[in-house]
This record gives sequence, structure tokens and C-alpha cells, in this order.
Amino acid sequence: MTNRIEQKMLALREKKEKAFITYMTAGLPDMAGCKKLVYAQEQAGIDVLELGIPFSDPIADGPVIQNASYQSIQLGTNLKKVFVLMKEIRAKGVELPIVFMMYYNTALYFGLQQFVEECIASGVDGLIIPDLPLEEQGELKEILKRENAPILIQLVSPVSGDRIPRILEDARGFVYCVSGMGVTGQSGNFHRRIQQYLSEVKKVSKIPVIMGFGIEQAKDVAPMKDVIDGAIVGSHFIKLLEANDYLPKAALEYCSTFKKELNEL
Amino acid sequence: MKKDHKKYFGGFGGQFVSESLMNTLEELDQVYEEVIHEEAFLTQYGYYMKQYVGRENPLYYAENLSKAYGTKIYLKREDLNHTGAHKINNVIGQILLAKRMGKKKVIAETGAGQHGVATATGAALFGMECTVFMGEEDMQRQQLNVFRMEMLGTTVACVRSGSKTLKDATNEAIRTWAKTAEDTFYVVGSAVGPYPYPKIVKEFQSVISRESKKQILEAEGRLPDVVMACVGGGSNSIGMFADFIEEPSVKLIGVEAAGLGIETGKHASAMALGKPGILHGMRSYLLQDEDGNIQIAHSISAGLDYPGVGPEHAYLKDSGRAEYVSVTDKEAMEALQELCRLEGIIPAIESAHAIAYAKKQAQNMKEDEIMIVCLSGRGDKDVHTVADYMAGKGYLN
Repeated sequence: MTNRIEQKMLALREKKEKAFITYMTAGLPDMAGCKKLVYAQEQAGIDVLELGIPFSDPIADGPVIQNASYQSIQLGTNLKKVFVLMKEIRAKGVELPIVFMMYYNTALYFGLQQFVEECIASGVDGLIIPDLPLEEQGELKEILKRENAPILIQLVSPVSGDRIPRILEDARGFVYCVSGMGVTGQSGNFHRRIQQYLSEVKKVSKIPVIMGFGIEQAKDVAPMKDVIDGAIVGSHFIKLLEANDYLPKAALEYCSTFKKELNEL
Repeated sequence: MKKDHKKYFGGFGGQFVSESLMNTLEELDQVYEEVIHEEAFLTQYGYYMKQYVGRENPLYYAENLSKAYGTKIYLKREDLNHTGAHKINNVIGQILLAKRMGKKKVIAETGAGQHGVATATGAALFGMECTVFMGEEDMQRQQLNVFRMEMLGTTVACVRSGSKTLKDATNEAIRTWAKTAEDTFYVVGSAVGPYPYPKIVKEFQSVISRESKKQILEAEGRLPDVVMACVGGGSNSIGMFADFIEEPSVKLIGVEAAGLGIETGKHASAMALGKPGILHGMRSYLLQDEDGNIQIAHSISAGLDYPGVGPEHAYLKDSGRAEYVSVTDKEAMEALQELCRLEGIIPAIESAHAIAYAKKQAQNMKEDEIMIVCLSGRGDKDVHTVADYMAGKGYLN
């Protein structure tokens, strides 16, 4: 079986569509509500879902996701419960590619072997680990060589410079281009060299180039539409869910609109 | 596994940070390696250590304490430094580095406020804009230091997330740094964080053991039997150990905070019960819950109230070169009062933890054996906490 993310990216390329990816913290408003939100987003036509595994010390996140993580931990969300959620979602026939966005300690504490086994068993397609830069990935990559293991998504930043070719060397799925310096959820704060930087990545990347951090509406990425293959919305989506009592309908409307507008840019 | 061994102490250390900081850390390491062998830089650093910080400070033979505890006790008087603690040794070094790198702004995290005050001081001296991140709870415990920082022209940013103490102040400092690294230098206050910080902090704090070694040889004509220091993140202790690590006859003891007692779960002893994990860019021993979330540390001392420990300490523990023990709030407060009355020295509550264990350790030592205890800071900042404690009001956290 090919990886769901890679299949999706291939399909999008054939259709000449851009990918729309959302982030939401697992376990909010509760596990049942969280499942409904996943279904709604799949229905809305998102291409990949980033499911945030809450951690006590999310140093790559701004206040919105910090707060969501805190709320979710208070509700008792942990990795074990998210694996159960994943299995339930997959049992319902959801084939949406799902990526865990998590901090390395959560996986490490769980035990890397066991973690990867559970990812395979529950249908996790990818991992985004913002505190695991290229130089520290060896230990995990060794275990991810297993069949059907999730892809480790690579992140690049506006100041990655000459590190970009090295990071992209064996990157799979898509490359996550952070739009600015710092943490998630700083709207309208793209790096001053954003165009140049994304072009540089686009030039050397064999896989789709997807931009995240600080995006709210599809039009936010209009100036970059020629150099990116998709967009990720996290903090803004969480705020929207919070403001709408986590109603699946709100998620559905927002995601459908964004996906449509993204491909009309 | 491709692992860069210079970035690790055994299995501890590393660089667990966002991609956006990797080039910054690389540049920092390059500049550091360049200047640390450069005579002009070392002369400049030495000048400020002598003329501004007031080094060398005494290795004081605490005669009354020695008599009371039954062994020879020397106190390394870091409390006599300008700003009242060992923190300034490291700050001056890092700010000189920041200047060399052309940075105009500095940021820092602080627990007890000593590192914050030292950074505010260094920033004032070298004309840099400074912001210090401090947990809301620590700001209440250490109001005097907050005021000192503000007098020195620093902005104190109140951190209300998570535990509202040093752990979260550090998170916020790292987040801000990731945002501003292009023009801002992060002055890390303890021997923690991603490589090369633990190495840099150790180098600038090793002046403590360099002086102590020379001073004890002058006073006693031999090396000490025991060297002891308190451990939060572990900067005064790694500085106190540094020049003795290669002296196998010297026993090294690090004293962590046991808070209300290790058995109560309300403590700050990462080495006693902690498991290896990742926090603040490093792999080290940490207090964690059953899901791998970082637990809140508890200690009467804001400076030791940290759920992790520097990676080199984790290595020294695992390799058996150093021993790590812990003392409770109560033991530390008794030792603090005892040092006041016996020697006329009011120690910081952090340092009082080392004094408390010195009393225990002395029971296993002969009268003519020698112990050096690092008196890492003075207690002026703590008088309110001590007063509340003595009045039976306990303490925050």
C-alpha cells in the first residue's frame, strides 16, 4: 500500500489542484466531538488533516494552540486515547490522510518502537515533529523504515538557507514551509523574504511545497500561489471552532470555502 | 544513527529545537569557538570579571561552621559578586559574545530573578535592549528582583502560561527567540538548553572551580575531598565541578531540591525520580507524568524550581562521576538560619540547600578532611520568603 499522503499529493497534481490542510488539537471539544469534526472536514474536501497531540510544553506554538493543548490535556487526552480515536475513524472508512503534529517527548516517552507500531496499526500516515530537526532524526528514522510506517514530514524555515537541499534530500509526502519566524498563529506576519524563500524551496523540491503558519483565508496566500502547492491553517481554524462551539457545520463551511477559493486564486 | 557526538554528553544534550533556530545555534557555536581561544576576548572577559564583578572572590574557611559540623568547610563566595550570585559570570561572557555577533537586543529567562538581574545589569553596562521572561508566580515571590531589573532599564515580561514559573518562562523565551533570532541574542542562564549552550555556560562558570582549586592549594596544599553545590538547572554546580571532574580523588556532590519531600511528589529533583526526556531543546532527566508531559516542580527556592537538569549533570550521574542528592525545604531553611547565626552570612535559599547537605555529608567525614561548598548567591532577595516561612505562612506553589 502506498502512503495515503503520497497518493493524495499525486492525485492533486494530476487534477492541478492545491492541497488544503487543516490542523486541530485532538480531543477537543471531547473525543466524540473531535470525531465528528474529522468527518465534517473530510466531507468538506480537505486533503490532509493534522491532528495535534497535546503536550505540556509546546514551544513551537503560539497562544491559541498552547491553550487548546492545555484544555485537551485537562480533558485527559493522551497518545493512547488518540490511537483509539484513529482506529475508530479508520473503521468508519475515513481514508483522509492524517498526520500527527506532536512534540518529540510524547513519542519518546511512549517508546519509539511501540509508537511506530501503533501508528501503523491505527493508520497514521505522517508525523510533524517541530522540535526534531534534521540532525536529531536518526533514531526515529531508523524505526520508520518499517513497512507502512508514517512519513516524517520535513519542515523548512525562512532562515534555513543552505540547509534546504539537505533537508529535502530524502523528504517524502510534502515539505512544510513555515511562513515566518517564531511560533504558530501570528496572522499576517509572513517573513519579509517569503517569496524568495518559497521560490528557493520550490526550485529544489521534488515534492509539493506547502506553506503554513499565520494563514487565515485562501486570499492570504494569493501572492505566493505560483510557488506553493498548498496551504495549512491551524490557529485560525482552532479559533473558528472555539467561536462556533466546535459545530461540525462551521468546520464544513470554512473548509469547503477555503478549498474552493484556494483553487480559484 | 547519525549523531553528532560533540553535541552530546553520553546520551544527553543535543539540539531539539525548531528548524528556524538551527542556523542560529550553528553560528553561535562557530563564534564561540572562535572567541574562546582568542586572547583579546579572554582579556576583555577577565577585565570585567575583575573590575566589574569583583573577582576573584574569597574561598572562605568557615571556622564556626566547620567546628559545628565536624569537618573543614570552605565556602566559595559567589554571593560576593556584583549582583549577588554566580549568574553574572555567565552573563558577561554571553553578552560579550552577543556583541561580537552584532546583536542589539538580549532576552533571558529567570526563576529566582538572579539571572534576570545579572542580564539586566550586563545589558545596561553594554547598552543593549533587554527583556526578561519571568513566571507570574516567581514575580510575586521575588518582587525585589523584579524591581531591580526595572531600575536597570529592563522590561520584565510576565509569563502566565503553564506553571507560571521558570519552566514556562523558558518556553516563552525560546518562543520569542525563535521569532527574533535575527537581531536578538538569548542569554541562557543555566547549563541547560540546546547545544552549544550547556558548553558555553559551563565555560563561563568554570571560573568558580578554577579559582577554588588555586585557592585551596594555597590554603591547604592539597585538593579537597568533597566539592558540593546546589543543582536546579545546574550552572553553579557545573562551574564548581568543572576543574575537579578530572581529579578522581575529589568527590562531587550535587544537591537538588526535595521540596516537601521526594515521597510527596512535590519536589524538584529531576535526578532522583526523573526519566530521560526532552525539554527546552535538550535531552536530559526530567520530571514527567505517565503521558510524557512535563510535571511542575516544587521548591521553596525559585531558582531550583525547575523540572529538568543540565545534560552534563545527567551524564555525570549516569557515569557515576558525581553523586546527586536532595534536601527538603525544611532542611534548607534550617541550614539558612544556621549559616546566618554561625557565620554572619545570609545565603540564598538555593545555596542553603548545599549547606544543608554539607551538614549531612560532614557526618561521614573526618575533622581534617576538606569540603568546598559553593555559596552561589546571597539571601537578600529571599528575606520575604524567609519571613513568611518563619511566620508559618508557607510559600506559594
